[in-house]
Amino acid sequence: MNTAVIGRLILKDWRLNRLTISLAIAVGVGALLLVRYGSEIARTLGTVWFFVALIVLGSMLPASTIINERKKQTLAFIMSLPVSAVQYAIAKMLSIWAMFLVPWCGLIISALVVIETGRVIPHGVIPILLILAMLPLLGFCIISSATLIGESEGALIAASLVCNSSYWFVWYLLSRIPTLTENWKSGLPVWNPAVRTVLLSEMATLAIIVAITLLLQSRKRDFI
Amino acid sequence: MRIGDSDPAIDNAIELRGVTKKYRYFTLDGINVTLPRGQIMGFIGANGAGKSTTIRVLLGLVHQDAGEVRVLGHKMPAQQVAAKWDIGFVSEDMRLYEAMTMSWHMDFVRSIYPTWDAAYAQLLLKRFGLRPDQKIKGFSHGQRVKSALLLVLARKPKLLVLDEPTTGLDPVARHEVLRELTHVMAEEDRSILFSSHNTQDVEQISDQITFIDRGRIIASMEKESYLDRWRRLRLEVPRGMELPDLPGIIAVEREGSLAVATSNAFVPDIANAYESRGARVQRVENMTLEEIFVANVEHSREEVEA
Repeated sequence: MNTAVIGRLILKDWRLNRLTISLAIAVGVGALLLVRYGSEIARTLGTVWFFVALIVLGSMLPASTIINERKKQTLAFIMSLPVSAVQYAIAKMLSIWAMFLVPWCGLIISALVVIETGRVIPHGVIPILLILAMLPLLGFCIISSATLIGESEGALIAASLVCNSSYWFVWYLLSRIPTLTENWKSGLPVWNPAVRTVLLSEMATLAIIVAITLLLQSRKRDFI
Repeated sequence: MRIGDSDPAIDNAIELRGVTKKYRYFTLDGINVTLPRGQIMGFIGANGAGKSTTIRVLLGLVHQDAGEVRVLGHKMPAQQVAAKWDIGFVSEDMRLYEAMTMSWHMDFVRSIYPTWDAAYAQLLLKRFGLRPDQKIKGFSHGQRVKSALLLVLARKPKLLVLDEPTTGLDPVARHEVLRELTHVMAEEDRSILFSSHNTQDVEQISDQITFIDRGRIIASMEKESYLDRWRRLRLEVPRGMELPDLPGIIAVEREGSLAVATSNAFVPDIANAYESRGARVQRVENMTLEEIFVANVEHSREEVEA
């Protein structure tokens, strides 16, 4: 594996997208501050903004790293370097995954700190928080894979539309599962079978999407 | 295999044998091209003739449906990573990152290629009049092409593949680019494939000429001997006389008593043959590469349609 060049491509994407990542983190942290110190309305607003920051980042990263490389014709420059199409896809997936996971993990940990120190939100909400936070991660995975495979703005827009309009519906469906929501007001997080099943399903879906993306990318015959 | 590992015993920088690639409205049809090491090949064709597709096939970016491609001894597309360590590619539609400076791009390329020659890069910056601290978005088209060329030349590739690099450049920038390519060829073991629809540029620097039209190679050979084969004969023809069909004559245009015959395999016997049949040869003219290209394309299309 051409790890040195793949590493350089990942660093390059980080350098080019640092403003987007910083903005998402700033919005997420601002939202958590509202949750921690604000009134009830501010807490609701903070919760919405927290998820919006992750959802928007999930659409912006594929747009700026994959679509812009084609639209702004920098892809030919990158593909003139000693990388194959599959290595490019691996570099792209690793870089956008890292660019999403770093703010995602940072904000989730910050949210846990807010829950731990705030004494306003019960600890029973932690499993629900993780289940819901996995959804923007899943959405990001679908959008980035569709964009990488489809290689077009149309693929990005279609995947973003489907994912971004599905969150609220999925949240609604999850809220209808009593075993998921019955313990959210308890003082301790409850990891019952329903919670574990949903979390494992989300993770399995992530793994399947990544595997399919790499498989389809390796079968491409025309890259530019 | 990394840069510098190409086998010096390999005679050809590029070999395409029977390469075919089918699209819905276009087919690259049985392409055969050979570029010997240390030579410059001018790859000439009209817009949409198949130049860029051929180049993308030989870089491994587009996979051929049939045929064999070898670049610096590497089989493409399977060994494209190994090959690309020694290939420098610049195309007219290639862009650098607008938000970043020239210096950032130089650092980026240097971090990948151990063969990066920092002193040569500085020299090129000066020759091309580029400012390292300026963002690419502030560059003119000519400066962008020169920047891409600098990033390629400073890493000393064995093969340069240039897809219409002079398109859209002003005369001064074109001259600078062509002059630098001539300097590059002073170094041994460098090869260049130079695609263009501007025959003047190609004629200036090439050793080999390849014409492509509608996805087919219509001519590929050494430039000087190729140019030497083509002549235009201006004839005065008596009224009522029919000009004979002579071998080596691919086109005749007649206007009253004047005729122009184009030969792609000229020998003095052709002029003698016209004279012996009653026509008077007013002049035998050399043809420019552009005139040869146009005549060749028209002749090839007539043959295909016939």
